[in-house]
Amino acid sequence: MKESLMEIIRCPIDKHELELAVEDREDGEIMAGMLSCPECGETYPIEDGIPNLLPPDMRDDAAA
Amino acid sequence: MKGKEWYQADDVAEEYDDKRFSEGGAFIDRREKAAVRSALGPLEDKTVLEVACGTGRFTVMMAQAGADIVGLDISAAMLAQGREKAKRAGVDDHVEFMRGDAARLPFPDDHFDAVFAMRFFHLADRPVTFLRELRRVTKGQIFFDTFNLGSTRVIYNWLLPMGSRLYSRTDVESLLADSELELESEAHDFVLPYGFYRQLPRSVARPFRTLDTAIGKTPLGDKLASVSYWSVQK
Repeated sequence: MKESLMEIIRCPIDKHELELAVEDREDGEIMAGMLSCPECGETYPIEDGIPNLLPPDMRDDAAA
Repeated sequence: MKGKEWYQADDVAEEYDDKRFSEGGAFIDRREKAAVRSALGPLEDKTVLEVACGTGRFTVMMAQAGADIVGLDISAAMLAQGREKAKRAGVDDHVEFMRGDAARLPFPDDHFDAVFAMRFFHLADRPVTFLRELRRVTKGQIFFDTFNLGSTRVIYNWLLPMGSRLYSRTDVESLLADSELELESEAHDFVLPYGFYRQLPRSVARPFRTLDTAIGKTPLGDKLASVSYWSVQK
């Protein structure tokens, strides 16, 4: 994801703006990192350049 | 295996486009893309959200046409295909893919110029909840398709691996009423269902598609169509 995406993404639960911690950047793209909601404390990982904004109850694929 | 799991399997994601949209399936691909393009109109500098974008078949096309687009899906395997496709097409600077739940979208109210979801409502267990959430994040337009009850789709629907919900016109009307949306325009197509075209080589499928389109233009056409496209406004 590009950092500009921060302007539009929100916490899926309370729609609050998110905070970003970058772990890996490649060619201007954030490949790995963590998004967190300062309101509810929930965190959302960025994996292989794709932010995972699934609410926590849907995040476990195998059990879905 | 139900829809969610079926669509998320890695092998299903990798083969998805090849299996569904080559050969006879190419006629489906072309018609669906035309439906989305004509419903959304000029795209230059429009912000668009595609819900249940899968492998980014429409997402990438819309980006190529100038839209600033976000593709959202539940499946990481499908989205990985989408990212690759966007890179190959050279449009990755104005496409973003993300995982998310269509019932709890990670966006503010009234954000996108248009929101669309193709082949989504046939898998939706709570269609009103989803449509209301699409309504929340769009400034105005929503575009989606349904598979129709009382069409040839009924014949093979039960054979599908993902389970598939069929809609009557009344179902769609009450869905819109419950979501406080107004119907803007509609189109109906495919007297012969998708599954039929997918089985055939392109050259064999072509005359059937011609016949299908001809029947579609008759007064009976809309009644027999297996797919409907709906453009709605809030």
